[in-house]
Amino acid sequence: MSALLHAELLKLRTTRTFVALGGAALGLSLLVVVLTALLGKSFTEKEVRELFTADFTGLFILMLGVIGMAGEWRHRTITSTILAAPDRLRLLAAKTLSYALAGALLSLIVTAAIMAVGTLILSSRGEPTIGISQLTDVLWRNLLVAALLGGLGVCIGALVRNQIVAVVGVLVFAFVLEPAIMALASDVGRFGPTVAAPNGILEVQPFGNSELLAPGIAALVMVGWVALGFAAAAMLLRQRDLV
Amino acid sequence: MVAPVEIRDLSKRFGRVEAVRNLSFDVGAGRVTGFLGPNGAGKSTTLRALLGLVRPTTGTATFDGRPYDELERPSTQVGAVLEDASFHPGRTARNHLRVLAATGEHPQERVDVVLAEVGLTEAADRRVKGYSMGMRQRLAIAAALLGDPSVLILDEPTNGLDPPGIHWMRGMLRDQASRGRAVLVSSHLLAEVAQSVDDVVVIAKGELRGQGPLKQVLGGDDGPSTEVRARDNNRLARELESHGHTVQRDGDALLVLGVTPEQVGAIAGEARVNLIGLAPRGRSLETAFFALTAETT
Repeated sequence: MSALLHAELLKLRTTRTFVALGGAALGLSLLVVVLTALLGKSFTEKEVRELFTADFTGLFILMLGVIGMAGEWRHRTITSTILAAPDRLRLLAAKTLSYALAGALLSLIVTAAIMAVGTLILSSRGEPTIGISQLTDVLWRNLLVAALLGGLGVCIGALVRNQIVAVVGVLVFAFVLEPAIMALASDVGRFGPTVAAPNGILEVQPFGNSELLAPGIAALVMVGWVALGFAAAAMLLRQRDLV
Repeated sequence: MVAPVEIRDLSKRFGRVEAVRNLSFDVGAGRVTGFLGPNGAGKSTTLRALLGLVRPTTGTATFDGRPYDELERPSTQVGAVLEDASFHPGRTARNHLRVLAATGEHPQERVDVVLAEVGLTEAADRRVKGYSMGMRQRLAIAAALLGDPSVLILDEPTNGLDPPGIHWMRGMLRDQASRGRAVLVSSHLLAEVAQSVDDVVVIAKGELRGQGPLKQVLGGDDGPSTEVRARDNNRLARELESHGHTVQRDGDALLVLGVTPEQVGAIAGEARVNLIGLAPRGRSLETAFFALTAETT
């Protein structure tokens, strides 16, 4: 399993997509934090805490997971991948785990960067900052969300296979469908895997006053989504003839 | 004794289409076996079933008695180059092989060894999207050789190659067999593999049509043959055989192998046998192959 994991992480590192999207996550997160810290006024501690959840790694690693897995079909590399690792269940597990790890690592870099830059700007403007315990609390939540979304992306990519359809579908779901469901039926919408449950973990309210799941429950729901996606993807991958 | 590759009663059905039907054959070590048949004969399906990529409807396909997906480290036993060998276009050849080396737990030094073996050392750090078809095929072969396997499987490896590429491929096949590897190479073009194979397995419509040494299955390229009719076929046959020629009965004619019509005419003249008809008849490997793979009615 460690060999497979090593190979999958090597795959990630040896294409430009990961560097490009990882860089985009870092750039976008920094942009939001810098502008907010520079332009905002009279921050409360809660607002500062929420500011440091502006880690866009989750969205980008979700996309990377989808692209990485569906890309195996797009570039028709799935055949050589399975020839090298014929146990398809282990292969999917390694890929899921590698994107979860990559998500956590990227989130660590992005969160550390936005916390450092944000704290510097806020303190230079005489605005309040938050202590190490609160920073650590935000950090692990960001890491957890990124890891879970990275794994979920792989499962979605394995299920949909068509890279473009999968990427567009995930974006439409995250930015249109899930917010719409949240607005129309928040009791259902708060279980959403791309926005609602992750924000439940982060304790950030993106939908006005709609009630989100408690962090522990939200984390369990996210784990459930990943497990469900993994089970469905594994079943499909094991049964599928590669012609 | 278990053969390096054994296929037994293999059948594969896709919906209503029976792509492969009760196919059985072996591939021996140190030999190049040509897996021949027209397009759509079921060659790729058979190879993919052998490699665990498609699930056989019935039958087995094994390497040293074990299915591909039960091999502990498959790349140390089997190297495969499939027809749709594809690579991530943004990854370099070296990185592609590094990933496969990591998966198969092969030392990274093997990457340089196989790159040199296929002549890609200088292009190793270029992205694959800039590779020609021939370079991609070489990279696919490098990937197959990474684990120094005892069996090599190649599906239509000459497709899209230019003449120098085809020449290189033929030499590579012979070289691999000379190192003791069992080599199974599929093709729909007999001419492209006839010079490099020891044995052939011929299929058509998913069924086995012949297997064994090339000359045994398709007949050697015996040179010119002659079809002759005489007033007394029996006497002419005796005369030709007394001159050491092989004579086959073919309806009301005789088929004399490896002899020109002039030679047959001379023998008949000496023996004073009256001839009714005399004509050359060729039997090339290609015509034998066509006859073998023709639709049965």
